[in-house]
Amino acid sequence: MTILGMPEAMFAVFVATILAGSLGAFHYVIVHVLLGKPFRDEAETAVTSGDGPEAIAERGGEVDD
Amino acid sequence: MIDQIPGDANPYYLAAFVLYLLLVLGIGLWGYTKTDDVMDFWVFGQEMGPTLATWSLVANFVSSVSVIGFIGAVYVEGYSFMTHTIFGLMLGVSGLYFVVGRVRELNVLTLPDMIAKTTGYEIARPISGSVLLANGWLYLIMQLVGASLLVTTITGVPYEYMVWVIGVVFIIYTVLGGLVSVAWTDLLQAVVMVCAVVIALVYMISDMGSLTAINTEFAALDSAMVHPTHEGTYTALMIAATIVAFFGTIFTEQNMLVRIAATKDVRTAKIHLAGAGVILSVFYSVLILLGGATTVALLDSGLGVDDPDAAFPVLITDYVSTGIGVVIILAVMSAILSTTDTRLHSTGITTARDIYSYFKPDASERRLMRVSRVATVFFGVTATAAAVNPPGTIIELYQLRAVLLTSAFLLPVYVAIYWTDLDGRAVVTAIIGGAVLGLGTDLAGGGIGAIPSTFVGVGVAILILLAGHYLLSSSDKGGGVVTNN
Repeated sequence: MTILGMPEAMFAVFVATILAGSLGAFHYVIVHVLLGKPFRDEAETAVTSGDGPEAIAERGGEVDD
Repeated sequence: MIDQIPGDANPYYLAAFVLYLLLVLGIGLWGYTKTDDVMDFWVFGQEMGPTLATWSLVANFVSSVSVIGFIGAVYVEGYSFMTHTIFGLMLGVSGLYFVVGRVRELNVLTLPDMIAKTTGYEIARPISGSVLLANGWLYLIMQLVGASLLVTTITGVPYEYMVWVIGVVFIIYTVLGGLVSVAWTDLLQAVVMVCAVVIALVYMISDMGSLTAINTEFAALDSAMVHPTHEGTYTALMIAATIVAFFGTIFTEQNMLVRIAATKDVRTAKIHLAGAGVILSVFYSVLILLGGATTVALLDSGLGVDDPDAAFPVLITDYVSTGIGVVIILAVMSAILSTTDTRLHSTGITTARDIYSYFKPDASERRLMRVSRVATVFFGVTATAAAVNPPGTIIELYQLRAVLLTSAFLLPVYVAIYWTDLDGRAVVTAIIGGAVLGLGTDLAGGGIGAIPSTFVGVGVAILILLAGHYLLSSSDKGGGVVTNN
């Protein structure tokens, strides 16, 4: 059995290679685009911005009343 | 020794080549005006956005090894090259995506930076820098051989002259603007070469009927050419070793770390690896199919070559029309110079950042910039001289440095960035042990008995890493002090 003139196993290697190279893209689209998970540096920012005014003041930041 | 391939001088090809060199020199000059300090020169001021980073990575990835060497490899061993090499490379790009958040978070500029930071031993910087310099220098030679062989074939200018013309041009534009020049020339080059390779395959398909017809004829030449293991020529162990070797190079090449450092944030770092993975995996599938079409076209036309590296150049000069030939030549030159400039840039940063600054920690930025530029010129000129009479074929050199990089760095470095208590001395020793055993057994015949050299190197590295960690940490709680530079 052949696909595009090559054995099925060889065709499968081509498909597997494209999938192997696309694993990062799949992860990016599913996790960061669809599920909205923040990136490492954004996660740190999110934690910081969620701190209470006391914590910000302790770090020397300004607190708006 | 490079075989001289007779070819008639083609004024269209020569003109395209000259215009191309002038264009990249112009971009190099423009990059010089945008380079204010050493961080601009080394890592684009860490301001590279997603589009530029993605296409720059694609351009850097696709080289003369890819275009000339891979098509030559398909000419010899058929599509099995996809199984053991391309698959490993693509898996490596995606693998790096999954650790890039941690790598970018460390905010290191180079691989030796990362090693020094995770081990706490600054001496790791010049040691690993030296291994990377050896790799970068070998890669430069491969690029120059590929570029010069191609241009010699298509223009008729003798190889020994052409290698110096190309060498001098890429040295000048890289030394002028550093990564600023490199990245912007890459953007242009990546788009040109991806489009051109697709156009070339479409041309071959229309010329030969269909993709099915090409593959059927390829199989008729030798059924092993369309078999994933070349009908048993490559054993499962050999394939696994090669996949590991090429998977590992993605994690351990200096230029990959430099590019990650150049991205402006983790999001950009992830996007550039995710996007480049998709583009590259499709591109290489097209390229390998083009290799099959090239083989069928040459052999059916009585244009068979003795040197596989000459297969693609001969297709351009003796098979396709001049119009298609010009398009392909621009693509190949783009592929070659975009990778060459990146590797050359990496030798400069390795010398200044990883080796010189270790011995001269108080060196000024101005001094480091000068050292980078001097090293760039030095390694460029010596690689050009070596390329006049290279020590092996492109593919042989390519595999040699893959074994070296993966054996030395893959496991010690990436285990260390997650296993933070790992003893730094064990990491440094594992790097040295992996490099010596991996490279040594490869040069001595490809391995020990049935065990391929990649597995010898990686195996020794992990054994030293674990044994060293437990022995050293039980006798002494010392490890390095984690640095924060």
